[in-house]
Amino acid sequence: MLSENAEDYLACIWDLGQRTGSDVIKTTAIAAKLKLSPASVTEMTQKLAVDGYLNYERYKGVSLTHKGKKVAERIKRKHRLLERFFCDVIGLRRDQSHDEAMKLEHTVSDESVEKLNQIMNYPKVCPDGDPIPPGDGPLDPDPDLSIHLTDLEEGEKGIITHLTCDETTKIKRLISMGFVPGRSVALEERVPMGGPLLVQLEELKVALARDCASLVMVRKC
Amino acid sequence: MKILLAGNLNVGKSQLFSRITGIGVISANYPGTTVTFEEASVTFHGEKISVYDLPGIYSLAGETEDELVTTKLLAEKSPDYVIAVLDATRLEQGLVLLLQLIELGYRVIVALNFMDQARKRYNIDIDRLEKTLMVPVVPTVATTGEGVDRLMELVISNTVHRSPYVTRYDSHIEAFLEDIAGGSVSTGSGYPIRGASIKLLEGNHFFTGQFSPSVLEFADQYRKEFREQHFEDVEVHIARDRYGEAGKIASEVITWLPKRDMTLKDRISEVTLRPRTGIPILLAVLVGIFLCVVVVGGLLETLMADVYAAVVGDFFSQLASWIGGTPGQAIAQGIDLSIQAIIAIVIPYILVFYLILGLLEDSGYLPRVVMLLDGLMLRLGLHGRAIIPMVVGTGCNVPAILATRTLESKRERLILATIIVMAVPCSAQTVIIIGTVGQHAGILYAAAIYLILLGLILLLGRILHLVLKQEPPSLVIEIPDLSMPSLRNILSKTWLRIKDFFVIAFPLLLIGSLVLEFLMLYNVLDSLVEPLAPLTVGLLGLPSVIIVALIFGVLRKEMALQILFVIFALSVGADLGTVLTEQQLFVFALVMATYMPCIGVLAALMKEFGIKDAALVSVTSILLAFLLGGLANLVFILT
Repeated sequence: MLSENAEDYLACIWDLGQRTGSDVIKTTAIAAKLKLSPASVTEMTQKLAVDGYLNYERYKGVSLTHKGKKVAERIKRKHRLLERFFCDVIGLRRDQSHDEAMKLEHTVSDESVEKLNQIMNYPKVCPDGDPIPPGDGPLDPDPDLSIHLTDLEEGEKGIITHLTCDETTKIKRLISMGFVPGRSVALEERVPMGGPLLVQLEELKVALARDCASLVMVRKC
Repeated sequence: MKILLAGNLNVGKSQLFSRITGIGVISANYPGTTVTFEEASVTFHGEKISVYDLPGIYSLAGETEDELVTTKLLAEKSPDYVIAVLDATRLEQGLVLLLQLIELGYRVIVALNFMDQARKRYNIDIDRLEKTLMVPVVPTVATTGEGVDRLMELVISNTVHRSPYVTRYDSHIEAFLEDIAGGSVSTGSGYPIRGASIKLLEGNHFFTGQFSPSVLEFADQYRKEFREQHFEDVEVHIARDRYGEAGKIASEVITWLPKRDMTLKDRISEVTLRPRTGIPILLAVLVGIFLCVVVVGGLLETLMADVYAAVVGDFFSQLASWIGGTPGQAIAQGIDLSIQAIIAIVIPYILVFYLILGLLEDSGYLPRVVMLLDGLMLRLGLHGRAIIPMVVGTGCNVPAILATRTLESKRERLILATIIVMAVPCSAQTVIIIGTVGQHAGILYAAAIYLILLGLILLLGRILHLVLKQEPPSLVIEIPDLSMPSLRNILSKTWLRIKDFFVIAFPLLLIGSLVLEFLMLYNVLDSLVEPLAPLTVGLLGLPSVIIVALIFGVLRKEMALQILFVIFALSVGADLGTVLTEQQLFVFALVMATYMPCIGVLAALMKEFGIKDAALVSVTSILLAFLLGGLANLVFILT
């Protein structure tokens, strides 16, 4: 049985992987997210690597093994379903739901959570709009999962779920043009020769360089 | 009384400004052209009103230069009213900016522009919009002037108050706003605390400067917490709420009409946009611009030269004898030549180009050019919009340098200007290339020169891209529908631009001409022939007298070919092959093609980049020209 602490680590790495779209996560990023010192993160990740939950690559970072991913997805599933429950059924604020779910996700049984899932009519996303991992098996490329705007086919449409980037300048430029979560965006053309993407953002036509477009995460619709 | 026009890009703001003020103003359909703001005074029903036109922006987040300038101007000018110009066909986008203006406590009047086009798509319930937002809304059509009078009447009626409308945010953000307001923190600058606090959260530098360090720290802490709880930056969330609000309002006031068929204009908008059809059209347009500048410019040149000769008559010879002696001749000749250069050489080409540029800007075609060519030009370290100045440069480098202004950063503009000066042959350089090697050494030599220039463009792009490190900003631009440009607007801005150029170029041309005349009269040029022989004979393997043609090339590039015949005492058009070998012709043409900018280009460089960069580009181009010429000579010697 893993400790709560270890489960948090795996869930955190899974989360970061989803946000950044990369499998390999830097230990400094984990330290920042969990607000721990890099040294203690390194210690814990090494331990988890020994136990077969993580692949540990020095200087590069860590990635989840199949085993680790299973654990992380189970925790995230519990977390997001609980959030949904506290938010929708009990009516707590989103931050309160989050805090409650943080505490319970480690102790609640699989059976209870699945029952909750059934009662709430199988929600697909958590209150923040992130997908709830399915109960069994790996996470398939599900229609509900966010993909990069650049990964849409020409003519496909999506809803913006979030923007992924550490460069605030770029993010702010995108926001002020109207690339805001919840709005719909359609990929019209990929201009040849490495040119920009032509997208229809609600009522606006925008030409967007590919590096900028890859920061916009969308859910197909 | 002061009013200020604010709005998104491409909403016809500058056109509305020009309608209100009645004087010409630089306005364009192209994102980024209105970087500087415009000011004008107008008297309406006896009331004197100062009107300011701000740069087009999408938000007041203070992130881009335009946004920051707008925020500052809004604060500095403390206007009586802000006219929020909204595009009725893209209501939601405009409302987002409007909500921010209301939030910051400005007295706002809404001009709902492009109403004619919006009416074809949907009905907007103006009454309901006014009641919801509690601001007056005036439908306008800037191109025809509809609604402009009503707008101004509202301004002078002085009955418009601050709108009490409040944009609601996420409950966490609301809690933060309450904390700030409850702590009775004040910005001390007259902004509503709620509006200023939102800007503080968004990280607008103008506003963060107005809060005490403890509040800043509190806000920073809050931003961090927010991010952890929501996995989203607070500014993203604020924008999300704002777009939600704007979308809700828009959907309440809009009733869609049945979908209409595509009009001809829609179809043209579409085919110019899709790469499959758009790229061939673009190529045709570029060739068209080139031909226009060269052919129409050439016709105008002949015409204006004739008119000038007829008007002036023997005025300058009289002037010469009136001043008397050799200096008299030099002065008269110098003034004559510089006026000739301006009206017969520079003005025709620049005029034609500016008219075309105005057309491209106002029709909304420029953003399409940028979009279609961005990928290709990125490889040169430039944006897609760089292609226009390069095409123009094949006509005349002077308007090409001025046209670099359509580029966003100074870095890109400098790269582009350097490429144009060194590697894009202007029509005068083309005349030299064709007139020397083309006619007397064979087409292969001429082709070789063009190939070298093309290679130079690619190489310079690469090198400069590496030297001026920072990445070019990634492209994010709006592509507006094409629209019918207004002739009035194009003419007035062409006039302003020509005037601008004249003021800068004429004094320089005059000085240059006078200097050259004196050099010739006192035989200074001849005395330069021998001392510079190591350069001409030694390095380039050319006859030493060629230096005269090279020096002439700086002042009057288009005359360098004629001078070539003169110095070899040949009649114009005679076979240069009798005095120069094919290889020598090639070296000469190559040097002339890459060689230092003529004095007009120098003036344009100085105007755009300052004396230091202008000198740097010029000196480098001279060195490059002699280097290439020397290399070519070396290759000929060795083979």
